[in-house]
Amino acid sequence: MLQKILIVILSCFLLIGMFSMSAYADEYVIALVVKNVGNPFFDAVARGGQDACDDLGHTLIFQGPPTPTVEGQIEIIENLIAQRVDAICVSANDYDALVPVMQRAMDAGILAISFDSGIHPDGRLLHINQADFELIGRLQVQAIAEMIDFEGEIAVLSAGATMTNQNIWIEWMQEELKEPEYENMELVTIVYGDDLRDKSYNEAMGLFKSYPDLRGIISPTTVGIGATGKAITDAGLIGQVQLTGLGLPSEMAEWIQNGACQAMFLWNPVDLGYLTTYVAGLLLDGEISGAVGEEFAAGRMGEKVVTEAEDGGIEVLLGPPFRFDASNIDEWKDVY
Amino acid sequence: MNGLKMDTYVLELKNISKYFPGVKALEEVGFNLKKGEIHALVGENGAGKSTLIKIITGVLQPDEGEIFFHGEKIVFSDPTVAQKNLIAAIYQNPTCFPHLSVTENIFMGHPIVEPRTRRLLWNEMNAEAMRLLKTLGSELNPGSKMGDLSVAQQQMVEIAKALSLDARILIMDEPTAALTSRETEELYEITRTLRKKGTSVVFISHRFEDIYQIADRVTVLRDGKSVGTWNVSEISEGELIKAMVGREISQLFPKSEVPIGDEVLRVEGLSRVGYFADISFSLHEGEILGFSGLVGSGRSEVAQAIFGIHPYDGGKIFVRGKEVPIDSPWKAMEMGIGYLPEDRQLQGLVLPLTITDNITLSTLDRYARKGWLKSRAGHDISQKLFSLLKIKASSIFDKTYSLSGGNQQKVVVGKLLAGELRILIMDEPTKGVDVGAKSAIHKIMSDLAANGFALIMISSEMPEILGMSDSIVVMREGRITRTFSREEANQEKLLTAAVEVGR
Amino acid sequence: MNDSNHVSSVDFLKNLRGFRELGLVVFIVSISLLIGARNPRFLTWGNLHDMLLDTSILSILAIGMMLVLVTGGIDLSAESGIALTGMIVGLTLIRYPQIPAVLTLFMGMALGAGFGAITGAIVAGGRVIPIIATLGMMYVYRGLTFIVSGGRWVNAYEMPDDFKAMATGRLLGFSNLILIAIVVYIVFTYFINHTETGRQIFAVGSNREAARIIGIRTNRIIWLVYTLSGALYGLAGVMWIARYASAQSDSASGYVFTIVAACVLGGVAITGGVGSISGILLGSITIGIINNALPMIRVSPFWRTALTGAIILIAVIVNIAITRNIERKALLQRKI
Repeated sequence: MLQKILIVILSCFLLIGMFSMSAYADEYVIALVVKNVGNPFFDAVARGGQDACDDLGHTLIFQGPPTPTVEGQIEIIENLIAQRVDAICVSANDYDALVPVMQRAMDAGILAISFDSGIHPDGRLLHINQADFELIGRLQVQAIAEMIDFEGEIAVLSAGATMTNQNIWIEWMQEELKEPEYENMELVTIVYGDDLRDKSYNEAMGLFKSYPDLRGIISPTTVGIGATGKAITDAGLIGQVQLTGLGLPSEMAEWIQNGACQAMFLWNPVDLGYLTTYVAGLLLDGEISGAVGEEFAAGRMGEKVVTEAEDGGIEVLLGPPFRFDASNIDEWKDVY
Repeated sequence: MNGLKMDTYVLELKNISKYFPGVKALEEVGFNLKKGEIHALVGENGAGKSTLIKIITGVLQPDEGEIFFHGEKIVFSDPTVAQKNLIAAIYQNPTCFPHLSVTENIFMGHPIVEPRTRRLLWNEMNAEAMRLLKTLGSELNPGSKMGDLSVAQQQMVEIAKALSLDARILIMDEPTAALTSRETEELYEITRTLRKKGTSVVFISHRFEDIYQIADRVTVLRDGKSVGTWNVSEISEGELIKAMVGREISQLFPKSEVPIGDEVLRVEGLSRVGYFADISFSLHEGEILGFSGLVGSGRSEVAQAIFGIHPYDGGKIFVRGKEVPIDSPWKAMEMGIGYLPEDRQLQGLVLPLTITDNITLSTLDRYARKGWLKSRAGHDISQKLFSLLKIKASSIFDKTYSLSGGNQQKVVVGKLLAGELRILIMDEPTKGVDVGAKSAIHKIMSDLAANGFALIMISSEMPEILGMSDSIVVMREGRITRTFSREEANQEKLLTAAVEVGR
Repeated sequence: MNDSNHVSSVDFLKNLRGFRELGLVVFIVSISLLIGARNPRFLTWGNLHDMLLDTSILSILAIGMMLVLVTGGIDLSAESGIALTGMIVGLTLIRYPQIPAVLTLFMGMALGAGFGAITGAIVAGGRVIPIIATLGMMYVYRGLTFIVSGGRWVNAYEMPDDFKAMATGRLLGFSNLILIAIVVYIVFTYFINHTETGRQIFAVGSNREAARIIGIRTNRIIWLVYTLSGALYGLAGVMWIARYASAQSDSASGYVFTIVAACVLGGVAITGGVGSISGILLGSITIGIINNALPMIRVSPFWRTALTGAIILIAVIVNIAITRNIERKALLQRKI
């Protein structure tokens, strides 16, 4: 009896879920595959993508695994290939692991683009780079240096040890630190919070205790910088330990306002989603070919150019990141 | 007997039938119970006694028939109904909670609580548990973990649990099977006291001694049907056996004379810390060596050490004159030693498997070629043993959990024989087995000895030890107190050796 | 008087010998000294307090998990239950910031109990084996978290101050979260050891058939343990978002393994029937030490992952060895 009731309830649940899916039919279908869903950053990307589709008259699918895993993304992409979408734009959880499945997509005549966190040129036609890796890496070191007067120990609290973006940024941070003006600063350690709230928090707490003279932390990842802001506040170290990195304004509002973090950076994810989807749409429409040096109008983003990427592939650059601090955080915290 | 003169029955079952898939467990069985009587329920294994009891306690519901309680019709829809009407039962396989303490096992379901807050009163429960166990002549610590106790001790706890319920109807399924004679006496005494207080007792037993000692009336079941109910004083043992099995058989099958051959097993100074010490004996071809002693004297532990289940930590074992350190059952079996455990469900059988799977389980490699199981060969062996041991089941493909206790025991024996092991250790081979199956098992043991097998038999039943053994070792508190030859042994000497103080 | 003192000290020794978790205590002490030798700050009161704070949420979750494990089940849905109750409470706080912080704890418990009751109904009534039923519910609850939140996070600045203060505030020198855990432990110690229902849980886990025969409503008990597990993960969910000042859809992903590990370390048998409050408390503390101490000693983060596994294994082995030794000593005293 109870079993029957359960079956009925679960079936209802299933039906509701199926009907809540939207149908799509018109024009080209562009899929945005993100690292994980439920992340405000990518929600903002999706909003931008939708704007671009509205402008161009295409249909957007927004998907991602519940947790940032390569396996989850491969499964989603395989489904998209089966659905015969027209373009797949992915923010990859791994630089190399997605190459085979993206190659299958290309073989099936699907446009393969990466954005935000790239994949190897073999698996993509084009990468939409939110900003120059070198610039972002150097910018964060410059920011922390100003906060601590170019003197003292600093640490990096990153996401996972295999994350493409973070690792390249960190390389450029180390490059920047070799400059003579930083001779009184020392990068003492790099720790990984795996983009988990509790682990990142514990790692930050651990940093305070194992490096009592620590002056600053750079956290180039949204969960990491948020958890570190909370940890600095809880440990009563506001003013003593400085914080910068890449964070979401909505999350960081509290820690910027209470002084735990004086300033941090992020590109505009709405713009990133817009540009990615817009470029995909232009390629599908045949408006652009994707050759190096090609200049084009990217809707509300203005003029953009296709350039050669550092990894040998080609890319389109979004522009420099935006600096958030106490003066502007209030207007941004409700945006994304 | 006041109770016997009363006309109304405390409990009356009319035309009860119960079907299991493919089996008629009970067919139109009638049974009644008077106030303050001890009513024995007997029958061979598989006759339907356990099913009948489960119907009385509400664990099972009858497919047909009616139950009257104090003259009124009642439906025992689940065990709580029976419990509310103060019907308690002690089951054959102790239905205990192995991870919990003795006290908890006694009081689970009806704890002593503070009336207002319903807080459990542990001190009171422990004290009461201690008192109940004392009335049973047991010195068990109420804080002991149930799973650490021997089967006999668990049985004691089960009895204490039934007593703690203060039941008006008490059902005991084979309560004496695991008890020593002293403990059995205590149980008789308690049962009589209960009768005096007006409690009605249903007493299931295979031991005629039990029936004639304490029962007022006896009802015999055979193949799921009721054969009849008699006053115990009006029926002889022979008639009772005839009613049970439908034919007359001698109760015990004494071992036939067999020439004793070479020594196959010698144990020297075997010991295991905390369990036994300094155990030495030797065993020859064609010999049955009886291990006597009270439950808990270390007999089973010695057997388990020789078979490698719980390795010994001192002494030596020689098989056919060669010293072999036995540290695993696998090693023991390689040496030709087989073991038939006391708790056949726990150690002997894989219940969800079929009879043939169980019989061939430990010797699978013999029926396999290149890793593939040749089930034909295994089935042939099983079929042979199935008919040889007269296992009551529709075929060798029956699952063993559907078998009665005696037939399960036969499957375990079958498993041993399939292994072609020449040294067999049997721990209480006929415990909880009915008369017919018992004599069959005794005949099998005797035949094995005649064929040059060497057997060690652990038994708590004096007549069995005296009838079957060529020589007898008596243990007490982990040590051998005396060794007797068949001729010099008698019941009195064995008992003295089992309880004597000082060594 | 002297005499009774003597008796009680003998009793104490006896109790100590019977104390199954002695191994864990020995392990905890020695690992603490070891880490303290490497970083003296580990053994300061402030850090020990931080560690207890870290353990408070885990130890509450371990109680619920133990109750389920004792019946021979497992509740994999606990981790998404944390996220779902946390998210619902977080979203509620955005709309009704005036809700007193204490009330949110009860809200979480009630919500969690509701979710647990559904899981319990599926296990007990639907006769689905626990690992499958709770695995299914793990995904259902995680999905519901995404649905109710629409993928967004609840950020620190959106939470009322008194709610955040609940996690950072102290009473009598102890963090409120630790005090909550202590209260929960007192309540459940009483429940498990001194109420009929509490013992019936163990009876059902030890031998379900026997429990049925003596009239325990086994299905109701099974349903109850999942409901209690739910109430506890609901409470933990609220504590979680208060502690990290953030509610995320993917909160506590994979955390269920940490909870089960704490239980197993504390001597809870996966097969059912065995488990003690003191055991899981020590088990949780052991996990707390590992999470808290490893970031404090300067070893490579890659080594730390392997170290975590090694430490858990060593703790289990030490525990087994000491328990065996105790049993053997008890046997030696037996007279033969």
